[in-house]
Amino acid sequence: MTGSCQETLDRLVEAATGSLPPGERAWIAGHLAVCDNCRREAAGIEELAALLRDEGRVIVPPGFWPGFMRRLGERIASDRPPLPSRALRWLASPLHALGTAALTAGAVFAVMLAVRAVPLPPQPYLVDARARGLVTQAMAETLPSLGELLETWRAGLPAGSDAPAEQVRR
Amino acid sequence: MAAPDAEDRDLIEAFKLGEESAFTALVIKYREGVYRIARRMLGNHEDAADVAQEVFIRAHRALRRFDGRSQLYTWLYRIAVNLCLDARARSVRLPVADLEEGRHEQTPGPGTEEAFEGREAGRAVVRAVSALPPRQRAMVALRLYQDMPYQEIARIMGCSEGTVKATMFAALRKLRGALIEEGVLAP
Repeated sequence: MTGSCQETLDRLVEAATGSLPPGERAWIAGHLAVCDNCRREAAGIEELAALLRDEGRVIVPPGFWPGFMRRLGERIASDRPPLPSRALRWLASPLHALGTAALTAGAVFAVMLAVRAVPLPPQPYLVDARARGLVTQAMAETLPSLGELLETWRAGLPAGSDAPAEQVRR
Repeated sequence: MAAPDAEDRDLIEAFKLGEESAFTALVIKYREGVYRIARRMLGNHEDAADVAQEVFIRAHRALRRFDGRSQLYTWLYRIAVNLCLDARARSVRLPVADLEEGRHEQTPGPGTEEAFEGREAGRAVVRAVSALPPRQRAMVALRLYQDMPYQEIARIMGCSEGTVKATMFAALRKLRGALIEEGVLAP
């Protein structure tokens, strides 16, 4: 046996089962053309591979796959991980952000609908009362000039005033 | 190292995002291959069906951690082969030397032969393949019946490509000898 024979035998199974690149197949064909031993070996392997493929067919029993899928689904369902693990997985998922956003939007929408559904009692349209309602005690104490400023605005600037900016600043 | 094909990658991503139907699609895609490997390694329908179920249960648990550095089918077939080797080790307690040298006589289970064509040649092939040591049988199943490249087989079996080639060559010689003895092949 020569070095070429050993290299050929190493590749014969691949050649016989069709997984050898074309370049290497051509090299082996060249060797087989001049080597009787390797040619016999190659013929034997090729015949065997063909027989194994032809006679080794597996027949799946009819109706097997639907039952297989059903059983698998049941087993997967009963194989659920414990709640903390599922919760962690859910939190780690990007779906978590989407889910939270959807829940928040839904909650806000529900509150808006509820508020709209309850009619408010009619209120007299009193501008002064509403303006006074906006000025809290804290605001009046923090900004003592605020009340005076409001009075000035309400009364309008005095005619002929030569220092409106100064009044406003005060 | 080949990454998963685009379809598998999309399905895996969808499953990781919580889409359970993506896993169902992967099962439908690979169940046949997984079952056939198990059937050829174990020799009967019932055990092969159990192993196939277990493969997908384990895949379902672990798919979120699948790193995508290999083909998905390589990963699934590796689980299948390991489960079959474990199942065989549990059911047939033979000395390791006997397993490795393939000297033990293995009778195919009752469900085996009916799975193949009813011809005598088919039964002889089943007997010859059943008599191979489990790892050789796995390699024959992966190469001849699943058309897997040696590189992928080596990854599944956890050995070098050279070992796969040498083992395949030895397995085919053994099969040829057995089938010549049975009178199915000419000497």
